[in-house]
Amino acid sequence: MSGAPPSGSGRELANPPTDGISNLRFSNHSDHLLVSSWDKSVRLYDASANVLKGEFMHGGPVLDCCFHDDSSGFSASADFTVRRYVFSSGKEDILGRHVAPVRCVEYSYAAGQVVTGSWDKTLKCWDPGGANGPEHTLVGTYPQPERVYSLSLVGHRLVVATAGRHVNVYDLRNMSQPEQRRESSLKCQTKCVRCYPNGTGFALSSVEGRVAMEFFDLSEASQSKKYGYLLNLFQAVAVLTLYGTFATGGCDGYVNVWDGNHKKRLYQYSKYPSSIAALSFSKDGRLLAVASSYTFEEGDIPHEQDAIYLRNINEVEVRPKPKAIHAAAPL
Amino acid sequence: MGKKKKRPSKVWCYYCDREFDDEKILVQHQKAKHFKCHVCHKKLSTAGGMAIHVLQVHKESVTKVPNAKAGRESTEIEIFGMQGIPPDILAAHYGEEEDPSLKMPKIEVPSAGLMSGVVPRSVGIGFPPTYGAVPPVYNPAALPLQPPSWPMQPQPQSWFPSNPVALVPPPPAGLAQQPLFPVQNVSTSLTPTTTVLQQSFQVAPPGLPSSTPTPLPQPLFPINNLSAPDVNSSSSNASTTGYNTPSNQGGGTSYTSSHMYASGPNTSGPSIGPPPVISNKAPVPQPAINEVYLVWDDEAMSMEERRMSMGKYQVHDETSQVSFLCYLFLISVRPGFLQMNSVNAAIDRRISESRLAGRMPF
Repeated sequence: MSGAPPSGSGRELANPPTDGISNLRFSNHSDHLLVSSWDKSVRLYDASANVLKGEFMHGGPVLDCCFHDDSSGFSASADFTVRRYVFSSGKEDILGRHVAPVRCVEYSYAAGQVVTGSWDKTLKCWDPGGANGPEHTLVGTYPQPERVYSLSLVGHRLVVATAGRHVNVYDLRNMSQPEQRRESSLKCQTKCVRCYPNGTGFALSSVEGRVAMEFFDLSEASQSKKYGYLLNLFQAVAVLTLYGTFATGGCDGYVNVWDGNHKKRLYQYSKYPSSIAALSFSKDGRLLAVASSYTFEEGDIPHEQDAIYLRNINEVEVRPKPKAIHAAAPL
Repeated sequence: MGKKKKRPSKVWCYYCDREFDDEKILVQHQKAKHFKCHVCHKKLSTAGGMAIHVLQVHKESVTKVPNAKAGRESTEIEIFGMQGIPPDILAAHYGEEEDPSLKMPKIEVPSAGLMSGVVPRSVGIGFPPTYGAVPPVYNPAALPLQPPSWPMQPQPQSWFPSNPVALVPPPPAGLAQQPLFPVQNVSTSLTPTTTVLQQSFQVAPPGLPSSTPTPLPQPLFPINNLSAPDVNSSSSNASTTGYNTPSNQGGGTSYTSSHMYASGPNTSGPSIGPPPVISNKAPVPQPAINEVYLVWDDEAMSMEERRMSMGKYQVHDETSQVSFLCYLFLISVRPGFLQMNSVNAAIDRRISESRLAGRMPF
């Protein structure tokens, strides 16, 4: 790559995908990292060992991926399929299909189901334990007002963000209709939505780079805590940490960590060579995987190679600070 | 404070002719009565700033200063405290011999005069609850008033408390106050700065990022108008063609500068609260940003969808790829033109097609 990133950005993962990275996730059980890419592959890495452990191909660009448990996972692709993998054996099969590219996939531990959202304006729930074949695994299809752009789960709640800035909140126990139908408080198209680990609400980010903190509780008191910030240039990709703070990355190549409650930036990591396409914290919060991958915000122009960086996280960088004075030195 | 501003008579409000004991109370009064947004109750620093805020945030035109007397309602005239009052009105209010004495403090030490105007403002501005160190915090807001060389700054830099270090050198060394702000408030001017900084934004061109600045009390910012045409021209380019790389000439520089708050100031510490500050002015830069820099800012499609339609991602799969890709193509070809209705229609058609074809289990 032209212009090696400063050493502070972490080590680069070996064998990264050959095209843009759409998403990456750490496993909840180990340092395994699942990466989905526009090069149609889903790759499994052991992040600490920096080793590629498996690669699976789709018929089209893979737009999202998630773990089921440490040994299996799912992916959503533009070839309309949702695939399931068993990493240890290398087996894969198609869990189900949509009628249009599947944009997001999540696994709900609470419901034991896989939830997928697609540009065909539906949300589908699948039972991964079901017999083979898409006809047997589909639990339900839930129409959405618009194409699904992002979804996130916490506990029994599912938040779906669609085009047209719609946000639907579902209770997974009763999917017949959304628990809440809301509109994004941000003026720009929604980029992604992430629920807070404590289940009180979610963070919505827009393509403009703003992040709004919203709460499930519709009472006035909670709604007044809603807050929106302009954080990164375009396309904030938000990820929540253990401490209730969140990290965002944008097209400017910077990753910032913010304290939502105090409305302050806690840290900014050194600039990455390309736009930040995805972020994920490892389960213990020690590692942050940063996908530095051109996201075509300016159309098809020559760009830096796509890469994944792993950096060790210092607790101070992500923990909310009690008082105003902060150490300023970036890593 | 230490300024000896002895007014032979009390200060008074231009808009409603009420008198006050000192200027800081006057300013508080003005902010609460005349410079308050009637929609969201935000207090701005000037009438013009308030008008612009209402126009850009609430999309409403304000032509009259609220609670003002007849003949004093114009939002064009920039009044702050006792500054900006036309001499004839001043004279009419006080009587004749007050004029020279009022003007003198300003004339003899130009910057000090400004600061005497500024300092009480910083102290008295009704944000006591939030400020421990009130005076210094206000300096960033004070900056816009400093006449010399200010206009040369790319606008946005003025507001970001993270930049006071950068800001200090450019404003002329004549300012006695300079040493004040770089020191502390890099660290302290944080948390509760929301309100204040927001206010200061409104003083300095709320309309910003690199576009039309408001006329400030002193004719400081006309220079910034220079950047506006660039932005506007590039914006028209960007919006007409779909995949244009954002025109980087004039737009580029201001782009960088207007977003320094997000990525630039590593040195002064990431802890300075850009978020609260920015969120308030956020609705304002939005139009400019959208037009100029976001090639893909099209409500009809997300970035991934555009990328998908780019041809190198054709998926070879059995289902009717063609029609889906046609839909994407339609959207990309005429981004602004395609209505959501037709997009929806296209999608729904495909869905019903597939249903009919019996492929989908639902």
